[in-house]
Amino acid sequence: MFRQKSLPYVFLVPTILILMILAFVPLGYAINLSFRNMTLFRPDSSYVGFENFVNLWSDRRFLNALWVSAKWQVITVTATMLAAVFLGVLMFETLSPRQRNIMCLIFLVPVLLPRVCAAFVWRFAFHPLYGIFTYPYRAITGEPLEILSNPNLALWAVAYVDLWQWGFFFAVIIVKLLEALPHQPIEAARLDHARTWEIHAYITLPMLRAQLVALTLIKAIESLRSFDLIYVMTRGGPGISTETLDMYAFSQGFIEAGRISYASSMAVIMLLLTIIIFTIIWKRVRA
Amino acid sequence: MNMSRRFGQAFLLLMVFMVLFPLLWTLLNAFKQNVDILTRAPKFIFTPVLDNMIFVLSRQSVLQALVNSLIICLVSVVVGVVLGLPAAYAIARYPNRITDELQFFVLSLRFLPPVAVAIPLMVIWLNLGLYDTRLAMIVTYSLLTISITIWLSVPGFQQVPKEIEEAARVDGCGVYAVFFRIALPVAARTLLGAVAFSFVLIWNEFLIALMLTTSDARTLPIVASEMSQLGMDVPWGILNAAVILLSIPPLLLLGLLSSFMNSVFSRKKK
Repeated sequence: MFRQKSLPYVFLVPTILILMILAFVPLGYAINLSFRNMTLFRPDSSYVGFENFVNLWSDRRFLNALWVSAKWQVITVTATMLAAVFLGVLMFETLSPRQRNIMCLIFLVPVLLPRVCAAFVWRFAFHPLYGIFTYPYRAITGEPLEILSNPNLALWAVAYVDLWQWGFFFAVIIVKLLEALPHQPIEAARLDHARTWEIHAYITLPMLRAQLVALTLIKAIESLRSFDLIYVMTRGGPGISTETLDMYAFSQGFIEAGRISYASSMAVIMLLLTIIIFTIIWKRVRA
Repeated sequence: MNMSRRFGQAFLLLMVFMVLFPLLWTLLNAFKQNVDILTRAPKFIFTPVLDNMIFVLSRQSVLQALVNSLIICLVSVVVGVVLGLPAAYAIARYPNRITDELQFFVLSLRFLPPVAVAIPLMVIWLNLGLYDTRLAMIVTYSLLTISITIWLSVPGFQQVPKEIEEAARVDGCGVYAVFFRIALPVAARTLLGAVAFSFVLIWNEFLIALMLTTSDARTLPIVASEMSQLGMDVPWGILNAAVILLSIPPLLLLGLLSSFMNSVFSRKKK
């Protein structure tokens, strides 16, 4: 009898314990670090209380990074969801199932590429003198087109690459979701001469509401992992116009000053923000 | 109606072009000399050379990074499978409040900003004398592989019909035998896709590897990104070649991942 009931414990307890150790030890350590004044070049350090956190709020670059991160989240999540719904519906309406499957396979390619690769591919494409993306502009005007070195455009260009990776991927998911829906309501609406866009706006998309909300959340979580794209494409530049929180924490902790504690306090703030915001949203969505 | 259908198809073909063209262009550039890349007008006709590929593949740092990447990825994926699959099965088979909370805990690990994990881990591994080792990378990545394996395998196990498991129990199988002999093989296709996803995730991982390695344990994405800093000029051809080589392993898994998505999302049809 014991053997029969032991399975959930045997299967869950070790795994969950290991996950907790792997997650909570670094997090506890990060919180500890954030109250010290450790740098990479000076191993001995002491507790300084909330000094790092207080300093952050008068740090112009930190406030800028907060703002850039917020912009990044809003732009990439909105763009991905809009593009994915549009492309998904378009594929569902205009292609045969066979064509759809082939296109789905192609649309999966960008998201599978390492982000470093996607970033390099588009960094060449955006090159002001030799890039393939800027070629039409050069051919017409004869002038080089500066994209990644333009503070007003750089964030949009990087966000475009994120959209290129995620928008097509989510379009594939939305096609699969549409295909799995029951056909009767759609056909009933067709018989009533509903227009195609009406069918999707009033029937299919509301039926997929829960899944669309979940996808939006997943995209919001994944958008937080933008570091590789930004690191390869702009390094936070030009100036600090694409410097997100993780980019700034990285450059404070590793490149410029080696201020491990200061970077940790930023990481702790990011951690609190994401955990609080996402836990509240997730629980509310599921309820 | 037919007009707008044609228009939609044309638009989708344009999208296919948007996906594939930058990649094909990168592939072409990987076989060009620098003079053919740095031209005012894009050059489609040129004499292909293997120099870039040979340069990349013959570098000691690349070979070492390849070995590192393979070992680190494979071991941490295996750790994810060994610890993650049983946990996912328990969550799928015993739905109650506790497993619900555990599933949320596993999911919430994905909320953690990588920086918040990488900075303290750097100090921890430095203190333990394990900084810049494969062991440290494997342990760190196991957090990712275990949680992603659980997250993606739960639906796979939920799809296994309860009746099959019950029939096996009636025939005298214990609960553990049911897991190994029934649930695992029945769900194998979906599970394989989940494992492939965790491999791709680790193969592509950049931020943690950048912070936790400096020379000995560097993985391929790090070495590839450093190629843009070779010498004075940016060696475009070499970079393109590195991009292509680094992208091959995830793309080899394309078919597997696509069938994983089909089986996860088409379950409602049955």
